[in-house]
Amino acid sequence: MMRRGALTTYFLPRDLHPLAWWTWTLGLAVAASRTTNPWLLLTILAVVCHVVVARRSDAPWALAFRVYLYLGAVIVLLRVAFRLVFGGAEGATIILRLPEIPLPAWAAGIRLFGAVSAESLLGGFYDGLRLATMVICLGAGNALANPKRLLKAMPPALYEIGTAVTVALSVFPQLAESVLRVRRARKLRGGGGGGRVRAVRTIIIPVLEDALDRSLQLAASMDARGYGRAGTVQARARFVTGLLMIVGLIGVCVGIYATLDGSTPRFLAAPVLFSGLAVALVGFRFAGRRVHRTRYRPDRWHLAELVVAASGVAVAVALFATSSVDPTNLNPSLTNLSWPLLSWPPLCGVLLGVLPAFLSPPPGTPFTAADGVPEPAAEKVPA
Amino acid sequence: MIRPPRRTRVARRLARPLVVLAVAALLALPAGAMAPGAYAIDPSKGHPGFCKSAKGVTVVVDFQQLGGTTIVRCNPRGTRGTGLDALKGAGFQIAGVQRWGEAFICRIENRPSAVEKIPIKGNKDYQESCIDTPPAAGYWSYWHAGNNCAWTYSQWGVKNRDFIPGGFEGWSFSLNATADTNPKPRIAAVRPGTAGRPCVARYEPKPTSTDPNARQPGSGGQTAGAGSGGSGGGGGGGGQTTEPGSGGREGALPPPRPRALATGRPAADDPARNVAFTGGENAPDVNQLVKEQSGASDLAPWAAGGAAVLLALLTWLTARRRGRARDA
Repeated sequence: MMRRGALTTYFLPRDLHPLAWWTWTLGLAVAASRTTNPWLLLTILAVVCHVVVARRSDAPWALAFRVYLYLGAVIVLLRVAFRLVFGGAEGATIILRLPEIPLPAWAAGIRLFGAVSAESLLGGFYDGLRLATMVICLGAGNALANPKRLLKAMPPALYEIGTAVTVALSVFPQLAESVLRVRRARKLRGGGGGGRVRAVRTIIIPVLEDALDRSLQLAASMDARGYGRAGTVQARARFVTGLLMIVGLIGVCVGIYATLDGSTPRFLAAPVLFSGLAVALVGFRFAGRRVHRTRYRPDRWHLAELVVAASGVAVAVALFATSSVDPTNLNPSLTNLSWPLLSWPPLCGVLLGVLPAFLSPPPGTPFTAADGVPEPAAEKVPA
Repeated sequence: MIRPPRRTRVARRLARPLVVLAVAALLALPAGAMAPGAYAIDPSKGHPGFCKSAKGVTVVVDFQQLGGTTIVRCNPRGTRGTGLDALKGAGFQIAGVQRWGEAFICRIENRPSAVEKIPIKGNKDYQESCIDTPPAAGYWSYWHAGNNCAWTYSQWGVKNRDFIPGGFEGWSFSLNATADTNPKPRIAAVRPGTAGRPCVARYEPKPTSTDPNARQPGSGGQTAGAGSGGSGGGGGGGGQTTEPGSGGREGALPPPRPRALATGRPAADDPARNVAFTGGENAPDVNQLVKEQSGASDLAPWAAGGAAVLLALLTWLTARRRGRARDA
């Protein structure tokens, strides 16, 4: 009886801590960045899509996920198209012979069209699929995590940068949501005539207007809530703090990039990461000293959050481990055309990522959501 | 119920980009469908041992400290071609780094393989993953020689110079060597039956720029123009292609202007001191080897595909179920 009660509590509908979803999503993105094996990438995509559909809420930012899918498809097609245009003759299996456009001598090294080999097209496809998967993973993070609560969960020292990051992260979902809203409004008014060009114009202008309105509104509301207030701190102290934070965060970014990307020089990895972290921590300390914020009903990490985050971390760790043991299958060779090989450990590792679809509580409905009410989108129709 | 349930519409909309993505994948994938039953040595290309006439080019692959018997094969093709054509035409199976493609060869006959630990300076457990340029302490050095000539370290990339018809192309694994101590292939560049004849080879000018795409003058079919670019002390880096370790030994004075056919060039070593070699007839199947080394399973791709399809189905069902629950 007790056990049953605990299970019911565990699966009570609620919104998870946004950082848990971001950890999961970044874990998958990191895993995708380690491989160009299409089997693994397609599995990651399937996992991400399933979890998003199973666990996203009805909030506006959650509905933008399919825009990321379109973006992914565009990325893949562009990569392949570039191989067609700029010389895809690396490899022996020529599948298409286009007339080559002769270029002057100063453009040596650049080739326009000409023979296209299957190997180079596949190379473009693998590469594009990897980037598309990473982008779609970020889209999943935006769909699953509530940006407003993410901002709330930021440590006080990070609040200025955190605000900027959150606003930046939610721009794309907001735009997508704007497009959906404007399109719905057009449909309700029955305005369908005028052809494609007119349709695009009648969507773009209201969307831009909407975006402008919203950012002004956001700025006003943030201003009203005291964001960006320097208080009684001296200008010099503010400058030093800001400098420390920015330098530190740039160091952290470079360090993380170098750590994740295997081909970057190693001195950019751990040393830059740790020194950046140290500088940023000093900056945080300075900044935290002058910022005092309280939180209303702070989000807590429960078991479900841990499960979600652990599943994402496990996927990344699995691919890191297998890539240090054996990189062969993670980066399929294109010298001989063949189906890319795949071994079990990375595949099982990637499949761990689907656990949140079953082991996390479903999202709260708009009426039980703890914070702000994501209003039903259809009711708000732009003028 | 005037408007259709929103969730199912969302599901339908979600399905569309998924389909687009899948179609994009399918469009680009069929190229991968062909799987040639490749062997380590492709027996349909070239033949084992030295070339018998002055028409083809003999390719020597010396594994040096990696261990393994040296392989000598002939690319009997009469037409001109690059060093890469010679290597592939002789039937060797190679892998290029991801960054440069086949312009920088990182594996020949799956050596050094992805699971092989190479004790290079500064990293005892280095594994060649063929992603970026291999380190200067462990890479395949590229050599060439005319018949009866001494081996010469190539100043050009494998795709940027033409092989010498009737001559030799050498690949020798350079481990912890400097530009001066790069080991040359331990097979003398002498075709059987031609020993004792003078060295006859075209002088190859050094690259004069650091442009990795620069081609050797006169390459691509003609034999003219030899020696014209030999002056000038440039060519420092020599491009990224096959010489990560070569600093070049440019002096203050330009080298003497070479004659087109330098007969007084150093001759080949005594062929009697050749190491043992094979034609690679018994080399294991590279694809099979890679599969074993990586622990790949034939079932795993099916499992991955099955999991993806199953998840897509589940996604669709979940979207429908959530849509209904929302409308209820």
